[in-house]
Amino acid sequence: MPGIELSSVRKSFGATEALRSVSFHVAPGEIYGLLGPNGAGKTTAINILCGLIRPDSGTARLSGQDVGAGSADARRSLGVVPQEPALYMEMSARQNLAFFGRLYGLRGTALREAIDRALARVDLAGRADEPIERFSGGMVRRLNIAAGVVHGPRVVLMDEPTVGLDPQTRLSILDLVRGIARDGAAVLYTTHYLDEAERLCDRVGIIDHGTLLAEGTLDELRRAAGAQDIVVFRGVFKAVGDVPALAGVGEADLVSRSESELLFTVHGAEGRITPLLVVAQALGEVREVAIKQPSLENLFIKLTGRELRE
Amino acid sequence: MRTTLLVAGHHARRLVRNPALVLILLAIPVSLAAIEYAAFGRTVAGGKLPPIKVLVLDEDESLVSRLVPQLFAAGPMRGQFEIEAVADWTTVRARFQANDASALVVIPKGFQDHALAGTRAELAIYKNPLQSILPGVVEGVLDVGAMIGNQILQEARGPLNRIRHLVEAQSEGSDQDMLEIARGLAAAGRRFGSLASLDRASVGVERPGAGSATAGPLEAAQFFAVVFPGLVIFVLLFISQALAARLLRDRMRGLSRRLATLPVSRDAIVWGGILYMFAALLVLLIVLGGIGRLVFGISLDRPLPLLAIGAGFAAFAAGLHLAIAGVARSDRTAAFVGTAVVLVISLLGGSFVPVDQYPAFIRPLATLVPNGAAQQAIVSVLRGRGLADVAGLVATTWLWSGLAIGLAAYFERRRFTLS
Repeated sequence: MPGIELSSVRKSFGATEALRSVSFHVAPGEIYGLLGPNGAGKTTAINILCGLIRPDSGTARLSGQDVGAGSADARRSLGVVPQEPALYMEMSARQNLAFFGRLYGLRGTALREAIDRALARVDLAGRADEPIERFSGGMVRRLNIAAGVVHGPRVVLMDEPTVGLDPQTRLSILDLVRGIARDGAAVLYTTHYLDEAERLCDRVGIIDHGTLLAEGTLDELRRAAGAQDIVVFRGVFKAVGDVPALAGVGEADLVSRSESELLFTVHGAEGRITPLLVVAQALGEVREVAIKQPSLENLFIKLTGRELRE
Repeated sequence: MRTTLLVAGHHARRLVRNPALVLILLAIPVSLAAIEYAAFGRTVAGGKLPPIKVLVLDEDESLVSRLVPQLFAAGPMRGQFEIEAVADWTTVRARFQANDASALVVIPKGFQDHALAGTRAELAIYKNPLQSILPGVVEGVLDVGAMIGNQILQEARGPLNRIRHLVEAQSEGSDQDMLEIARGLAAAGRRFGSLASLDRASVGVERPGAGSATAGPLEAAQFFAVVFPGLVIFVLLFISQALAARLLRDRMRGLSRRLATLPVSRDAIVWGGILYMFAALLVLLIVLGGIGRLVFGISLDRPLPLLAIGAGFAAFAAGLHLAIAGVARSDRTAAFVGTAVVLVISLLGGSFVPVDQYPAFIRPLATLVPNGAAQQAIVSVLRGRGLADVAGLVATTWLWSGLAIGLAAYFERRRFTLS
């Protein structure tokens, strides 16, 4: 039974379609990365799984139970780590965890042991009784994760938990996430950092404009990206108008075109730069050229026609 | 219920850990009352207005002149004035410059002679220019005294003439003279008898924001029992606003959404917040009442009626600001709307200006707004009235609190509703 299951879920906010028939599942012990730019629909998917918003159609299940209004059983198996720390800053780390633990139904010795475990896991046992307003940003983020998993959930939803953190803190949080999955939890991890998805996730779903464009293991996705390189020309271009024939370039495609950027996919980019440059110069002024080797990013560009930026 | 208590207890612990703002707000009514206490002293705290100090310069030093100070020291004005005889003008000037007296009454030489002769006997009053109201009170009392004195002289003209003749003749008078003088004075006394009731007069005391209460000449009209409740109720509305703002900021930081993902009833979370606000405000109200009792000597002889009123008002204050927070999109909006509402109802309820000073068509509103109803109910109970006497005011307060709590629950619950 999947820990997390989203089936044909649609959700609109007014005229904006936030999710368009999105389906995926996450098995226990698996880390599933939902990768997409801001506004792609990642947080909407998380909110539906949390029970904060209702899908227009389709079903969302946690540990086999429907997520819906008043579904306490589904929520009992759930741990949520929101993007922005949702903690009580005037309270200590222990008091914060005690409050969330009690609301998850923990009592007495079980609660105390759960708090100690969670504090040890996020390496805050030594500062458990300090008001967290004295904590650094990274410590608060770690405690935010501890508050989401203090009750030992079977499902954990993490909404971009590393946004704005320094590289060292990000690495420590990725280690934490791996540990949570090793304990058997199904982890849904949203991010717009490609490197995080590549380092952390067992499977990745690429989402943009509310549509799940591709999903699979990293190997599967890299294969799907093919052996083609991405050639990026940056400068000032005509965004519309005819494109000169790509004669002599081989199997090249102009996959994206804007006033500042042209993206081509091509086999063996090093040997094709000159004819591509001629094409690009015919469309405007070239100031910078970059070649990207096959990777998840290439697949993202191929699927969405744009680079993944913060 | 367990979750509701858990959430309420959690918020209460947060308040205990970070009470700075609430303590500052609590200090406001205490400080204002303390300033008044310092200005007027223990006499006011005990319920009496401070005595008005009157200097008397008696240049006549006669039997009749010695009766003049009795205008201030006897009858219904007893205790309201402090009379002090002075010997010369140097002393008077020094006392006025030190603002240590409100007025000087000068009894000129020959005062007795003029009085007994039935010719014009004049008293002079000098007001301390540093004061505005109290010298006027002295002048008023002196005018009334002069009017009464003239009447007495008219009624007793016959026997007084006989006394004057005996004095001028340096005669001790016969028994018959004494008998006729005594009969004449007795007859004058009977004719003037109606004025004797002045000595047994009761004084109707009207205080801001309350009905009249009759107190005997020596009975205290509790000054602080009027002023302090108004201050407390006004400040409690702002404390409630501060507490609700904290909960609003929780919501803005995503804490409400996080709580909504937990396996507990969302109603329990909403009512936990309401219960916390209500309990915190009620406790603060009780603390302020205790301060009023210990520091300012306010009598809390009827705790249960006071508790019923206080609980109603605490519920209203909690509901009002939670409802505003439930509607507001930001803490700035909530602060603006909340402050505006508090100022308007405080003005209507008589927090700033005594209700008695309002135009007649506005005055009834004071008892229709929750803070005005609660304030007047508390003042009435502190003056000795029972719960039954203020049932209408208490009902008004609780009706408002029910409405406010209902709106707060509705708007807060709506924040948790799935979209």
